[in-house]
Amino acid sequence: MVAPRRKALGDPLPRASTPLGHPPISAVINPLINPLIKLGGGLSEAPARLATGLEPVDRLLGGGFPRGHLSEITGPASSGRTSLALALSAAATRAGEVTAWLDAADAFDPASAQAAGVDLDRLLWIRAPRVREALRGAERLLTARGFALVVLDLCASEASNAFLPSTWMRLARAAAASGTALVVLGRDRLVGSHAALVVDLRAIRLRFATSPAWLEGLEARVALVRHRLGPSEGFAPVHWKVPPFARGVPARAGSARGGGGAGAS
Amino acid sequence: MACLLVPDLPAVAEVRAHPELTGLPLAVVSEPGPRATVLSVSPAAARAGVHRGSALAHARSVCAELRVRVASPARERAARDALLDVALSASPRAELATPRAGARAGEAAVHLDVSSRPSTCRSEAGLATALVARAWALALPAVAAVAGSRALAALAARCTAAREGPGATCVIAPGGESAFLAPLAVDFLDLDDAPAELLTRFGIHRLGQLLDLAGGSSWRRVTTRLGLELAEQLARLRGEEGELPIPAPRSGRIEESIDFEASIDNLEPLTFALRGLAARLLTRLAIRHLACSEIEVALVLSDGARDRRRLALAAATGDPHVWLRRIRQALESEPPAAPVEFVALAAEGCPARRDQLDLFRPAGPAPAELDALLAELEALCGPDRVGAPRVADDHRPGAFGLTPFGPSPGASAGEAPRASVAALSVRALRPALPAVVRLRAGRPAWLRSAVANGEVVRCAGPWRTTGGWWSEGQRFAFDAFDVATDDGLLVRLRYDRLRHAWEIDALYD
Repeated sequence: MVAPRRKALGDPLPRASTPLGHPPISAVINPLINPLIKLGGGLSEAPARLATGLEPVDRLLGGGFPRGHLSEITGPASSGRTSLALALSAAATRAGEVTAWLDAADAFDPASAQAAGVDLDRLLWIRAPRVREALRGAERLLTARGFALVVLDLCASEASNAFLPSTWMRLARAAAASGTALVVLGRDRLVGSHAALVVDLRAIRLRFATSPAWLEGLEARVALVRHRLGPSEGFAPVHWKVPPFARGVPARAGSARGGGGAGAS
Repeated sequence: MACLLVPDLPAVAEVRAHPELTGLPLAVVSEPGPRATVLSVSPAAARAGVHRGSALAHARSVCAELRVRVASPARERAARDALLDVALSASPRAELATPRAGARAGEAAVHLDVSSRPSTCRSEAGLATALVARAWALALPAVAAVAGSRALAALAARCTAAREGPGATCVIAPGGESAFLAPLAVDFLDLDDAPAELLTRFGIHRLGQLLDLAGGSSWRRVTTRLGLELAEQLARLRGEEGELPIPAPRSGRIEESIDFEASIDNLEPLTFALRGLAARLLTRLAIRHLACSEIEVALVLSDGARDRRRLALAAATGDPHVWLRRIRQALESEPPAAPVEFVALAAEGCPARRDQLDLFRPAGPAPAELDALLAELEALCGPDRVGAPRVADDHRPGAFGLTPFGPSPGASAGEAPRASVAALSVRALRPALPAVVRLRAGRPAWLRSAVANGEVVRCAGPWRTTGGWWSEGQRFAFDAFDVATDDGLLVRLRYDRLRHAWEIDALYD
């Protein structure tokens, strides 16, 4: 009984009802409609992405960090974690979005953010005195809605067992409800299985100019550790370049010793 | 003219403040204690046989389930004001009727001039229905009547309340006054003893008989036969006596309050009470198409002290959730010094802020919500720790500022071009960490600190920064190095030329 019914559903207008030998209407319309239906279905399933503006990283992540999900950027100090988060924030603010930076380490540097291209008017900086306040602040920010990105800087936090798993579950749910990309910045993985995306950064090479001695930048590798919404393997090289900070006048080499040598030991 | 009337205001005010009493037999009494007199009763209590003016002990014997509350002038005043708000939502010219004494002491009425009807109401009947519906929204079961004169509208409202109960409306079309008044009992005139006795002696029980008696007679004759009070009432009913025009509207300040039977020493129940209070306050504002940007919270504490706070939001809003969060945050950050016995919320109405959203740009957080959020974050982290970062106009390394956060809905800088190179940022160390440094040929060769230790593998610098030389307390002079150590860290090391000390002020990351 199933086969005849399928047949009937598949061809609702039998050839006998089409005069003058024209093909049935379904044969004409279905090829046009089906791709649209598939396209619509595909669009509704794919999460919106927040691009970093870095071509190799965005390609690796499938367009950027997913909105409405909890993501993690991990890596040791001097690997470019903060630079990647600031690049993400810069891209979001330049697109007119509003972002927030929850700074549990009190390490945010406005000059660096400005040099990275962040529109400081669109960045809310919260200098949380402790991790507890930072987590509460993150939850409140997600509840308020309207923020495209919330960066939770926990680089100063020691270990993942300092956090209750329910904390991350609550934050992940709040992020999903608000459509905000919540990015946790840490030395090691803190979020566990609640993270939809985890990238790990490692410094590969320091670039110093020799004459005159000048820090040019840093070459790092962004590795995809976990990606619930796409391919979960791969890496991308990224170059961090030192922006022209106001450094004052170059001093004569060896002048530090001229201060009396008190610093030397 | 229209009249909006609530027959039993004390009971209504209690139910409005305590919604859990809805539908229950309730009596409002004059004073605490067994010798109290019943001032007002709810419909359920009236059905059970409890009447105004009876002793509390008698009322309890008639209805065992009777709930008793002591009359609260503050709650009654708030209910009266709410009734006036309903009237003002339909007409700018509205005023409360003078409270009456005797049997109608619990009655609250408001008169409004509806000669220029709101465009949203197509007829007098529609206007009366709208008034009743708005009053219900403020938990005021009222009756509305529209007639040619203020006295006739009030009489019609009173009569409709007695006949049909709360929620009914009555419209007396021009020319239909006599037909309406004729069958009514003279008791509706609420006369003093002497005129009532006079009418009884004349055998007049219906208003129609009275009107017939006075019809065609001169004013002097009517006054002589019926007395001045009756004559004036008849003239007012017939619209013959000019009524004073209703004054211009009052200010937009409204107040809602609640006094607790037992003082509250916990924030949770206080917030619960405040939720209802804020909802009533903001509904009253909303009925007049207003919001507020500032709310005054007044607390009377058990030790007699008064705690008054003014809470403000930059953007006017009528969202009770936003205001409740703001009030709660204020009470959490600075709790009252003693248990609370009375709380009042007052607000000045103002037009709500309207935002023009852009179809092609992200909306961002709602202004009112953002204001509440910033206030909460400031309470959580400290007032000087939340805002938009600013690069200070100062050469001192690491100088920064914070400005109030308020992203403008204007144009953004545009989407950044995609690139493969981005700026290397630093993580500031506040305060800078002291370091022990060994030099070789005048340059750092080894360092020890809380963040980086070991041999210096690469070093760039120094860059000298000096400033503040004109002020002794603000002088600074640094020689800064970019240093890579063999443990893989890249730090910003500096030599303080004034203190002769090495320190690390930032970490490249």
